[in-house]
Amino acid sequence: MPDADDIMANLDYNRDVVGVDYDVGTHEVTEEQVIGFAKAIGETNPMYLDKEFAAKSLHGTLIAPPAYYTSIRLESAPDAEVKFGTTGFNASQHCEFYEPMKVGDTISAKTQVSNVYAKTGRTGTMVFTVRRTTYTNQHGRDVMMVESSMVRRDMNQ
Amino acid sequence: MSQVYFEDVEPGYEVGPVVKNPTREQLDAFTTVWGSQTGRFTSDEAAQKEGFSGVILPGNMSMALLAQVLTEWAGPDGKLKRLECDFRRYVQPGDTLNCVGLVTDTETEDGENRVVMDVYIENQRGERALQGTALALLPNRP
Repeated sequence: MPDADDIMANLDYNRDVVGVDYDVGTHEVTEEQVIGFAKAIGETNPMYLDKEFAAKSLHGTLIAPPAYYTSIRLESAPDAEVKFGTTGFNASQHCEFYEPMKVGDTISAKTQVSNVYAKTGRTGTMVFTVRRTTYTNQHGRDVMMVESSMVRRDMNQ
Repeated sequence: MSQVYFEDVEPGYEVGPVVKNPTREQLDAFTTVWGSQTGRFTSDEAAQKEGFSGVILPGNMSMALLAQVLTEWAGPDGKLKRLECDFRRYVQPGDTLNCVGLVTDTETEDGENRVVMDVYIENQRGERALQGTALALLPNRP
């Protein structure tokens, strides 16, 4: 069985996109989407749901639940287009929440393929593509970061 | 909604299990908002071609379910700062999911009351579909 270094040396993928940031759009945080999302995932925290409660809080307005990022539609960015195996899956996700997104914020997102690497284990070789997306508010402060790892493997192995 | 305080929590403290039963309707609502074009999340036929019995949940949606359990527990004055998970088994509508957080460490640093947890989602077969760690901040008891 070829080892991970051999796989990487010969792997067919787009090396040019690795480490390059791409803008993937802006998003207006609206009251409607925050309350709609909070209700859809069963939140009861008034910071996400109750305008009057939130107005009297430290933030002065409704804030979005941390998982709100999953409801933000981003533009697509160039992919590493790894040609390996027969199928791809989400392997892992890592989120850092720095400060809340608030109603009225304009969030801009940028994304990059931060790493492509291979790993050989007892079930064969897997190739991971790691993508890091950073969300920044209109004040230029990063509000959160999501690092997602996709794995490709050969299911016939 | 009640508030949990830093003084209430020590290693071994358990959040949940909170049971979640994601439905097909919730999955469809999620993928519509998210704009997913990937077949396995929206079409039974596409999922079956990949060897699943039907549609599966995107990892993002399972993350959102777990994040909700943690923010609900942390209360109005608590915060979720980090969530990091491996996707180990796929999740389908109709699954019964036990969402759990197990506190492994507590510390106060830089004026923050940090609660470190192992977190997981276990399905009805006792398999861990998601497994990872989380960091939450809690207020002091007034």
